[in-house]
Amino acid sequence: MMLLDHPVDLSGVAAIARAVREGRLSARALVESRLARIEEINPRLNAFTEILGNRARREADAVDALVAAGRDPGPLAGVPFGVKDNYDVAGRVTTAGSIINRDLPAAAIDAVLLQRLTRAGAVLVGTQNMDEYAYGFTTENAHYGATHNPLDTARSAGGSSGGSAASVAAGLCDFALGTDTNGSIRVPASFCGIFGLKPTYGRLPRTGTFPFVHEIDHLGPFARSVADLALVYDMVQGFDAGDAACAEEAVRPTRHGLDAPWVGEAAILDGWFADMADAQGRAAVSAVAQALGATGRISLAQAHKARAAAFVTTSASGGNLHFASLEARAGDFDPATRDRLLAGCLLPANAVLQAQRFRTMFREQVLDAFRHHDLLIAPATPCTAPLLGQATIDVAGQAVPTRANVGLLTQPLSFVGLPVVAVPVRNGALPIGVQLIAPPWREDLVLQAAAQLERVGVAQAGDGVC
Amino acid sequence: MRPGEDDLTRDDVTRLANMAGLKIDPAHLPGVVRNLGLLLDQAALFMDPPLDPLVEPAPVYRP
Repeated sequence: MMLLDHPVDLSGVAAIARAVREGRLSARALVESRLARIEEINPRLNAFTEILGNRARREADAVDALVAAGRDPGPLAGVPFGVKDNYDVAGRVTTAGSIINRDLPAAAIDAVLLQRLTRAGAVLVGTQNMDEYAYGFTTENAHYGATHNPLDTARSAGGSSGGSAASVAAGLCDFALGTDTNGSIRVPASFCGIFGLKPTYGRLPRTGTFPFVHEIDHLGPFARSVADLALVYDMVQGFDAGDAACAEEAVRPTRHGLDAPWVGEAAILDGWFADMADAQGRAAVSAVAQALGATGRISLAQAHKARAAAFVTTSASGGNLHFASLEARAGDFDPATRDRLLAGCLLPANAVLQAQRFRTMFREQVLDAFRHHDLLIAPATPCTAPLLGQATIDVAGQAVPTRANVGLLTQPLSFVGLPVVAVPVRNGALPIGVQLIAPPWREDLVLQAAAQLERVGVAQAGDGVC
Repeated sequence: MRPGEDDLTRDDVTRLANMAGLKIDPAHLPGVVRNLGLLLDQAALFMDPPLDPLVEPAPVYRP
């Protein structure tokens, strides 16, 4: 069955999967169409590090065989997706954006989240570009090149999951998985104008992914609609003992609650989050707040310290993780990564321990804010997508280094592990993301609020332009 | 006085690296000096005033 002979609604993951499950669309034809689009467009974006055509065709054929046999291939039947290059894919080396990792053995099995998606019928089409070892916000990788933003190829797609975000924004695949330590899902979602979810720390098992900062690393999806985001998230939820930090928290499906109108109490995060945003970001926050009926403003007095503590923890923990490689083959690192990791190895213990203790205290302060509110609202990035190679961005009237500061609004929140959806607001020449933040384990709330914003037209992903 | 971005030297970093068991290529030193200075400036933001001594960063088991 050929795709073009049987027109179907391809406007979302659920619609595509339904067409495949009902036999109106061949998974193989769908995958071929996405592979052709990747072949045509990826050279301009450099979003993929490897295209897994053979695997994708094999998986698509397996889905079609199930349909032909009258069996259900799953809620994501035939849907093409990609993963950041720090997820294990059986039979290939997980580079994590480095050349050092090329010396590691190939992965024996897929990462757990990948296994769950495949069981749900999704079809992996490739691995996606990232900053080396996920340490960056712009996906300008010295080894694998920069990923270009599909909305303006002179600009950054954001990072570190830039290849994943760019692929989804450009319609090269229908959703993707990324990782977020300091903002690496929310920043590229903001720059590429799509939705991204960073769940609660410990919600999704990281088993089979290459770590960066164990105590802050999160996994999560990108998609072009909230319904897609929620469906994919629901398919990957669940405990796995392979990740020591994964909580035995009950699975809480989210996709069935998206149509309910938002009736919760929301407030704007003021102070640091307003001061560090540009005019477009503040306007986007106002539009979101108005649509959610949020009238209050609250300030997290120590947000700037939380950002600093996240900054220090990241360097120290990353440096510790890569110490042996820094000792033996520092010259093989991306220079931008190497110098920060080396510096992290030299930090005084006093500073590192203080950062850990500060996090405990800041977490209590943030949780206190949720005693009176269900949801907090903040800009995701201090600006829209900067140009590739742009050395500085303007923040609060000062030119500051781009790479170190693009994540200054996301870092304080991931540092305490809260669930956040970045929603795209198109109120300027380029989109900008707004963070919806909920108490721990309440991914359902951020997704429900995001769905409301999408319904009323305040948040909207692009249509796969390129 | 705490060394920050402006007053950290290559010699400082080389000594720290030696203590940590790292040998840093001289060509990499300027970048490491700059980044360590930046990290120390960031750390200064949360080092003062001191935290409540009872703030607990340890893993806590709840039966």
